[in-house]
Amino acid sequence: MIPILEINALYKNFGGLEALKDITFNIDRGDIIGLIGPNGAGKTTLFNCVAGIEKPTAGRIILTHGDRTLSIGGKKPEAVTGLGIARTFQNIRLFDNLTVIDNVKIGRHCRTRSVFFGAVIRSKFQQAEEKAISESAYQFLEFVGLKGRGQEIARSMAYGDQRRLEIARALATEPQLLMLDEPAAGMNPQESRDLMDLIRRIRDNGITVLLIEHDMKVVMGVCERVVVINHGEWLAEGLPQDVQNNPKVIEAYLGTGAANAA
Amino acid sequence: MFLQQLVNGLTIGGIYAMIAVGYTMIYGVVQLINFAHGEIYMLGAFFAFTFITVLGLPFYAAFPLAMVCCAVCGVLLDIFAYRPLRQSPRLAALITAIGMSIFLQNLAMIIWGSRAKPFPQEALPAYFEKTAVSFGGVNLSWFHFFIFVLTIVMMAGLHLTIKKTRWGKAMRAVAQNKTMAALTGINVNRVISYTFALAGALGGAAGIMVAAFYNSLYPTMGYIAGLKAFAAAVLGGIGSVPGAMLGGVVLGVAEAFGAGYLSSLYRDGISYAVMIIVIILIPAGLFGRVLKETKKSM
Amino acid sequence: MGKLEPRNLTRGAKLRIGLLILALILPFLPFVTDYQLHIVILIFLYMILALGLNIVPGFNGLLDLGYVGFYGIGAYTSGLLTYHFGLSYWVIIPLAFMNGAIWGILLGAPTLRLTGDYFAIVTFGFSELVVLFLTNEIWLTRGPLGLPGIDVVSIDLTLFGGPKWEFIGELPYYYLAIVMVLITVFVMYRIQDSRLGRAWFAIRDDEVAAVSCGINLLAYKVIAFAISAAFGAVGGSFFARWMTFLSPDMFKFWESFLILCMIVLGGMGNIWGVMIGAVILVSMSEILRELLPLLGLPADVRFLAFGLIMVLMMRFRPAGMLPIAAVAAQMRAGRTKRRKTKPAMGIKK
Repeated sequence: MIPILEINALYKNFGGLEALKDITFNIDRGDIIGLIGPNGAGKTTLFNCVAGIEKPTAGRIILTHGDRTLSIGGKKPEAVTGLGIARTFQNIRLFDNLTVIDNVKIGRHCRTRSVFFGAVIRSKFQQAEEKAISESAYQFLEFVGLKGRGQEIARSMAYGDQRRLEIARALATEPQLLMLDEPAAGMNPQESRDLMDLIRRIRDNGITVLLIEHDMKVVMGVCERVVVINHGEWLAEGLPQDVQNNPKVIEAYLGTGAANAA
Repeated sequence: MFLQQLVNGLTIGGIYAMIAVGYTMIYGVVQLINFAHGEIYMLGAFFAFTFITVLGLPFYAAFPLAMVCCAVCGVLLDIFAYRPLRQSPRLAALITAIGMSIFLQNLAMIIWGSRAKPFPQEALPAYFEKTAVSFGGVNLSWFHFFIFVLTIVMMAGLHLTIKKTRWGKAMRAVAQNKTMAALTGINVNRVISYTFALAGALGGAAGIMVAAFYNSLYPTMGYIAGLKAFAAAVLGGIGSVPGAMLGGVVLGVAEAFGAGYLSSLYRDGISYAVMIIVIILIPAGLFGRVLKETKKSM
Repeated sequence: MGKLEPRNLTRGAKLRIGLLILALILPFLPFVTDYQLHIVILIFLYMILALGLNIVPGFNGLLDLGYVGFYGIGAYTSGLLTYHFGLSYWVIIPLAFMNGAIWGILLGAPTLRLTGDYFAIVTFGFSELVVLFLTNEIWLTRGPLGLPGIDVVSIDLTLFGGPKWEFIGELPYYYLAIVMVLITVFVMYRIQDSRLGRAWFAIRDDEVAAVSCGINLLAYKVIAFAISAAFGAVGGSFFARWMTFLSPDMFKFWESFLILCMIVLGGMGNIWGVMIGAVILVSMSEILRELLPLLGLPADVRFLAFGLIMVLMMRFRPAGMLPIAAVAAQMRAGRTKRRKTKPAMGIKK
């Protein structure tokens, strides 16, 4: 299995606080990997380091891009998105005041080019590009199940729909790796099932998925492998059932994981 | 020449310092550049002028009274213009601040006329004119001394207030973290008002001294002085009171030497240039914390 | 923007076409004097300027206090090129545009990384430096004496054996101004509804999310600033060839403030709002300019009204009279960046 992302001895310090210590694991192409751990374990910090929002203190993050490998630790977030890593946010960061369709269109930004002169002169190239942006945006909306809702204002949508919109926008950046930060948070069981289905469909379209999640039903239901971190350190890794029964993991969660996995 | 410029620089530098601490204190507690602060400085001069010429008060009475009025103006400015926008985005507060600045300048023009007026020199103590010390071809008058001493006393007083008194501690707490300060029982709004009052009083004092010393007051005097004092505050590190004091003096001296040796036409330009360069190259200034866009939490 | 279907124009479109027709025939109406035409041309000029400035606070949410600097640079470049080299205005327009853009890039690149307040102050300082330069560099600009005798605009077909037609009086400038306004509005609409405009609105709404979509914040902010500056310079170039006289005190901070006021009043980010703001404020400015001296007050005091308008608008209708959705919710109180925390329990990481 070809790793698409290798995380190698990753450290991240915030002043005196060691948020990530010697994290090492790989993500293989086409996998759905779950990243779990108690609150404060450093999961979002890990995402931020991969996505370029934080700069690692030490260690390497290596992305396989085409037939090359690139070290992306410390690259700027725009560049990381351009290289094919998209992410959603724990606290949903949509463009609240823009329409749903505009939110997704903006996701297409990194794959398109026209700027000022294109906008004003509307060259053939720009027109074709706009048409493509529009068509693909509507397709992404349909893919996540928001067909026909393009003209709504993002802010006015229900919470679950906003999550799906954020995923649509992330998909619009044409990632190879999609990182979802607690996508099932606040969802009811039906919504969670729809989400799992969506994640599988995303993977079936050739996109690798890494997700942070607390909802163990989702983790057990959709992840093929699970990585557990606690206090910024790698704790365990393996098949979901194995990790679930790992005494160290249970101890880390003090039973909350076991209770939720019913 | 050198000594003369140095004396000029220190004199005006002390003035800039007094205005600059006002900017920096207000920025510390409400994270807003109070564009109208220069106008409070200007009003100080005009209040003193009015008290002397219309009410016939002596200088020593008009001065503190005008300072008090400026303190009140500062508080009113906060209550009516800035407090309603406490939760609003910064763009709105900035626009309001500029609006108030322009409003106050023009209000002064309506009340007192737009032409420059001489300060009633006869109200000043007679000995102000007399030379106190003379060295190296430079004459320091008692007025010079008055300004130096008053500036130092006020700066020291401010420093002590911030460091030692309860109000000072409260101000520092609010500047660091409003929510926590409120949770510890501090009445944040009152502390902010107090800060505006203090800033206003100092700014007003600076205005009176400048008007009296340079024998001229006019409604737009706050505009230029305010911008320069802001440059001084930035140089010292916005949010840092000692920084603002140092920044004021450094800027005053730099301006005096620049005007004396380089070009007096660009006297004001020196301050703007210093400000722009400092902001771009060392946004933290000498003592301050860097004001990057507050990183939004993930 | 929807396609124009000949028989189904919206009410809004009908209104605009009506206004355009009114504008076109205005000079021929019986009661209209040259002075009034002059004011209307001034309104058109300020529309162009306000639309240019609108890009920065309106589309991008940043406060540019130094817009008059670009206006002045455009005016003096235009004036000096005409005065010394007799350049045709039709050559000067694109030159002014590019010159403005270059200055926008020069000023913007180092400063647009800064927080909003610092950026505002730096732009303020910049415009003050421009005025100082214009006033003091007498060898170049004749300083406070001003630059008189700038040629009027002319259409010169002599190279092709045709006539040279000079712009005499207000009328030719009037129609030129209308054309320039229409072009500016056209450009603004095109930008608004494009990848560029979307990127700007994304930046305005949530910078972190914008970055996660691949938008390079600094680059796009600089583009916005440069285009804004370019329009300011073009406005300045028109001003120079229209007034045929320039002096540094025409480019003081008050102008920046006035143009900002138009945007604040009319509706930040809203093309029509900004134009209406221009109409209202220029009219008010001219009326007060005549009225105040009659009350024994200096004409400059009209800015008191403008200052008050700014303060009141921010207090009660911060997004302007005709707000646009993207801006309206943003400007309202209570909008500290919303955090949609998940309903589940859990300490924030």
